Amino acid sequence: MYRLRFHGRGGQGARVASKVLGTAAFLDGYYAQDFPLYGAERRGAPVAASTRISEDPIMERGVISAPDIVIVMDETLLQDPLTMPVSGIKQGGIVLINTAHSPEEAKVEYKITAQVLTLDITKIGLDMLGTPILSTLAGGVAARIVGLSEDSLRDAVKKILSEIITDKRLLDKNVAAALYCFNAITPAKIELKTTDTIKKKSTVISVPFEPATVSSPAINATGNTPLRMTGNWRVFRPDWNYDSCTRCMICVARCPDGCILVNEDGYPYTDYDNCKGCLICVEECPTNSLGKVREVHTKKVIGK
Amino acid sequence: MAGNGEIKEDGGKGVKDMVMERIKSIKDIPPEENMLPGTPACAGCGGLLALRHCMKALGRKIVIVNAAGCFTLLTIYPYTPFKNSWLYTAMACAPAGAQGIRDALDILIKKGRLDPEEDLKVVVLTGDGSAYDMSLSSTSGAINRNLDFYYICYDNESYGNTGVQWSGATPFASKTGTTPPGRICPIGSELAKKDLFAIWNSHKPPYLATISPAHPVDLINKFKKAEQYKGPKLFIALSPCPPGWGIDSSYTVKLAKLAVDTGVWALKEAVFGVVTHTVVPKRFKQVEEYLQVQGRFAHLFKPVRQEAALNKIQEEVNEYWNRHKLLL
Ligand SMILES: Cc1ncc(C[n+]2csc(CCOP(=O)(O)OP(=O)(O)O)c2C)c(N)n1
Ligand code: SF4
Ligand SMILES: [Mg+2]
Repeated sequence: MYRLRFHGRGGQGARVASKVLGTAAFLDGYYAQDFPLYGAERRGAPVAASTRISEDPIMERGVISAPDIVIVMDETLLQDPLTMPVSGIKQGGIVLINTAHSPEEAKVEYKITAQVLTLDITKIGLDMLGTPILSTLAGGVAARIVGLSEDSLRDAVKKILSEIITDKRLLDKNVAAALYCFNAITPAKIELKTTDTIKKKSTVISVPFEPATVSSPAINATGNTPLRMTGNWRVFRPDWNYDSCTRCMICVARCPDGCILVNEDGYPYTDYDNCKGCLICVEECPTNSLGKVREVHTKKVIGK
Repeated sequence: MAGNGEIKEDGGKGVKDMVMERIKSIKDIPPEENMLPGTPACAGCGGLLALRHCMKALGRKIVIVNAAGCFTLLTIYPYTPFKNSWLYTAMACAPAGAQGIRDALDILIKKGRLDPEEDLKVVVLTGDGSAYDMSLSSTSGAINRNLDFYYICYDNESYGNTGVQWSGATPFASKTGTTPPGRICPIGSELAKKDLFAIWNSHKPPYLATISPAHPVDLINKFKKAEQYKGPKLFIALSPCPPGWGIDSSYTVKLAKLAVDTGVWALKEAVFGVVTHTVVPKRFKQVEEYLQVQGRFAHLFKPVRQEAALNKIQEEVNEYWNRHKLLL
């Protein structure tokens, strides 16, 4: 059995990716299971989804804590202490990271002991679909890694997407992009060093009833969300051209997150550690002093 | 309303003795941020922008009582964007939670354990699912008891946090997770949006207003005006929601402006039940301009134009402004 976990951000398509993979596996004659890990559904928030694929009926249920394969659809999640995408990955397993880096660079950068593959899926998404929604692309990559057929992938993408979108051209573009990704990687061989057996001991933790003073979490800090570095969410970054800026303060008033600050000379600038890249400022600036450029995240850009 | 940038009201009972400076432009917005960045709200969240300005107007000496919804995730263990205290309640009972806190503060002051200078404003924060539906009765009770509190409803016209389901605030013909346009019902939601302003205003609270994230000056002035009243001070902010409304995250403010410019969202206030419009467009834009840029109304235009539904929406907007004798 292969156990896969997809990690992405809300809106990127991790849930649909796991579904495309599960469906393709089913069409190839395997038993398959796919399901999202429901948290609060919100764009940009970390989300996870899982797929199990097996030649025999699958009796296992629930979250996959020891995956053979992890697909990291958003590189910045690797630094998020609340997500930890590669946790539990088996020795010899495969981590595919959506990044412009080479596998060697990524392996060192993120201190990953498992095998690492990389592909700039976001770029492919932007080039082929015009949006950074990566569900079918990540599904395509995963289908190749586990060794499914191209035909089943094509049929799975068509089946799943026709349930969600009505635009035929967009559907065709997704099929093409999924197949492109399928063929863009050379999968490594999964070389598990341990035999995979289901744990005998129950992993269910029983939580005793506690009075509210103990059991309800209380935060005794104030204003500490900037530690979460939502700058990692950006696909595009607002880019300033101060020649035409009149210091009108409109951008400052329009930023939902309060990420546009003002310097001593009265000029606005972006707090890139936290700016989520909504680009309202670009849309609202009356003098076109803001443009957008594709963001490439590395560990060093954020929080330097 | 008095001239030279001041508001002085003596509209009867419960008026606190205070004079407040009105602000005139975006440049006058207070620079202090009372809600910090890094929250899990979606990129481009219109509700968050409205809240950011509300927080500037309210200051830091407040307690937020937040019913379940997108904004309960702003403060998620162990992080908070606020400088003030915050309490989480179930969806139906944030105003009841506010009553408890208000009472506790009053008792502490009375017993001399809290300096009256250190008193806090109690601020209920909920989505439309709470305000229009689940907590309608507890809010009615709180207004009726003349509880001294603020209520901010960020209205994204759906149960957003759980993935965009229909709420009592969902407008006619909108697509939501539970009102998908299809063969049997091609227009999406067949029900009209509840008029929460009118429902709340029937209680004649001291202060009630609609606000918009695209009109921060109007928003802040309304909070300043509200400050002088003891009792319920209620705000409803129409809040464009990129995933729920099917718009690009960069388009939130444009859409909030369009809502006002087309007459879909009337910016107004009511003092002890008497309604005044605060922003009236000089020339109203066609409602279609507002509808056609949103994914949740796409089915009204493609594959075939649903003329009857589009006319009905425009007519209802016209009827509203005619009724108030403001349609020029
Ligand atoms: C009584 C109750 N029913 C359902 C829920 C699940 N729930 C949590 S948040 C939410 C959506 C709330 O919608 P709204 O008040 O409009 O806020 P939004 O999520 O749109 O910000 C729901 C249904 C709940 N917490 N309590
Ligand atoms: S779902 Fe809508 S209201 Fe909720 S955080 Fe996202 S943009 Fe804001
Ligand atoms: Mg809502």
